[in-house]
Amino acid sequence: MSPVLHIAANELRLMARARVAQLAIALVVILSAVAALTAISQGRESQEIRSRFQAQADREFDGQPARHPHRMVHYGHFVFRPLPALAGFDPGVDAFTGSTLFLEGHRQNSANFGDVRQSSLLVRFGQLTPAFVIQALGPLVLIFLGFGAIARERDSGLLRLHFTQGVRAGQVVLGKAAALSVVAGLILAPALGALAWLTLVGGAAPVAALTLAAGYAAYLLVWVLATTSISALAPSSRTALASLVAAWALSAILAPRLATDIALLAAPQPTRLETDIAIQRDLKEIGDSHNPDDPYFNAFRASVLKTYGVARVEDLPVNYRGLIAMEGERLTSSLFERYAERQFADQRRQSGLALALGLVSPTLAVRSLSMAASGTDLEGHRRFLRQAEAYRYAIVQRLNRLQVERLTFSDDSKRNSDPEAGRRVRIDPGAWRQTPDFIYRPASTTEALGAATPGLLLLGGWLALAGGLAWAASRRLERAGA
Amino acid sequence: MPDLTAAEPAIDVRDLCVDRGGAPVLRNLRLSVNAGEVYALLGGNGAGKSTTLAVLMGLLRPAGGSVEVMGLDPATQADAVRRRIAYLPETVALYETLSAYENIAYFLGLSGDRPSRAEMDAALDAAGLQAGARTRRTGGFSKGMRQKVAIAMALLREVPVLLLDEPTTGLDPVAASDFNALVGGLRERGAAVLMVTHDLLGAADCADRIGFLAGGGIVEEVRADDGLDVLALHRRFGEAAAG
Repeated sequence: MSPVLHIAANELRLMARARVAQLAIALVVILSAVAALTAISQGRESQEIRSRFQAQADREFDGQPARHPHRMVHYGHFVFRPLPALAGFDPGVDAFTGSTLFLEGHRQNSANFGDVRQSSLLVRFGQLTPAFVIQALGPLVLIFLGFGAIARERDSGLLRLHFTQGVRAGQVVLGKAAALSVVAGLILAPALGALAWLTLVGGAAPVAALTLAAGYAAYLLVWVLATTSISALAPSSRTALASLVAAWALSAILAPRLATDIALLAAPQPTRLETDIAIQRDLKEIGDSHNPDDPYFNAFRASVLKTYGVARVEDLPVNYRGLIAMEGERLTSSLFERYAERQFADQRRQSGLALALGLVSPTLAVRSLSMAASGTDLEGHRRFLRQAEAYRYAIVQRLNRLQVERLTFSDDSKRNSDPEAGRRVRIDPGAWRQTPDFIYRPASTTEALGAATPGLLLLGGWLALAGGLAWAASRRLERAGA
Repeated sequence: MPDLTAAEPAIDVRDLCVDRGGAPVLRNLRLSVNAGEVYALLGGNGAGKSTTLAVLMGLLRPAGGSVEVMGLDPATQADAVRRRIAYLPETVALYETLSAYENIAYFLGLSGDRPSRAEMDAALDAAGLQAGARTRRTGGFSKGMRQKVAIAMALLREVPVLLLDEPTTGLDPVAASDFNALVGGLRERGAAVLMVTHDLLGAADCADRIGFLAGGGIVEEVRADDGLDVLALHRRFGEAAAG
């Protein structure tokens, strides 16, 4: 057996005999396993709930009685974002952004019913998911088990005994790192099991699951190498422990919080109230379809009359009130679209800044990769908002078109004063059933991989840095002669 | 292993100079130890005794002079030198959750040796560790018991050179006497033993030669053949240490 494997095997034997190490490993493996099982179970349950409610919302929309199409525009429709197959592994921003949208005419509502609004505030401090266990607790256990691997043996004289047996410093560092990697493997194993299950049974993309597995393995390896290197470089085991715990607190606890605050400060977004006021102001500028002197809608009327070659709206072969509704919806939707894209651009700048801070924290790098590969990053949420808005616009305009084509202008104008006209403007409920259902299209594997690439590259950089640190630690240990 | 004629010393140090932290520690140190000889290097705190051992193990590079262990230069052939020496620090460090057998198997395994239980028992018998202690975890071992485990390792490795760093410090007189007898046994087996120590009595008990280290070099060397008078040695040691 090579000295590296011999040292690694002995290190594992020492851990196996140390009660504290046994306890720490057992605890984190149990936590990881519980998180994995919870991920699978919650994912399935949450998906089932969302599917059930989506079906119910579709049924209720389809089952509406005969009505005026514009009443249906205001009746609205609920859409639910289907849970990505890997969301149980890393819920990402899903708990904060919400997954339900109420779609109606003339309005673009925000998503509701995120877990943080429904559950206790504790959810804000980290759910027990495989991602959380590996990102935050995994490194802590590695530090706890590895900080003294070399420092303590140097303090006791065991390290010199190794050197006098002809062992090189690099072999000691590699051997200790190899043993700690086995612990990292144990921490990772339940999560890998969950990924396999979510892929084979839950229908997750194998490439995304493999990206997650590779990313988390690289992340834990960074901590393995850093822990072993600091243990070799620090003047004592106490200093090694203090340095590593400080690095962990900075990377896994402080940096993710700071990254959000820094991104918000560097790329501030207008508040909801400011946006609402700005939209109302812009809406007023567009024009008022109910105002007979409104210049925009007067021009619109003139254009319609010219197109159909008639002098009065009453002579049009279609319902002018429906045309007004369609034009109004087109205008407000394009305005909402503009504001939404501006907000998305701000969010993208914030996400970019937060990702750039992954240069100072491997946890930020793996978090970005993890959310992107799981489909639970902000981009996934924006994808849902965009598709839901496109769907909202399509069904509202479809209802408006029913008003244009199936209702007469005369009936529509008298519907409140003439009961017969009011009866005639009600459309048969079969029309609602013909409204297509909302089908969410998740990111393709290529898109998910593209989104995960920056995080993967950052982790690669961290791995190279940690490898360089291990090499430097070996050199210094060799020179110092223990 | 290089051929070494009986006339050639197993350890040969010539005009060794070592600086640590910019300050000179050893200056033109000369000493040699032959196979089957025990050399005791005496000196006060900071005289450079442990530094000498570190150079012999290739853990420190000399600033000048030449050093050979079994004809090899520790500065450039450290691995080869380390395969030929056994080192016993002042406090022998062992893995406390492993037994004596497991410690021996582990440390010998680092250089590819896989001694059988019978071979380990023979070495531990020679080192004097009682049979009942061999399967116990070494966490409860006394300093003397730890030294016996380390000596057993050296015997199993059949190394020609032993470096002992303050081996009898903290041992009770009986244990110190046992240890000195053990060192005598190593000499009988043909090993070259370099022992750095404060223990004048122990040195007089088992060493063939005693060198007084002061001011970075050997200021006086006496031979057991000359008939060692411990009180006279004690006086001269004090004078040498005072510089």
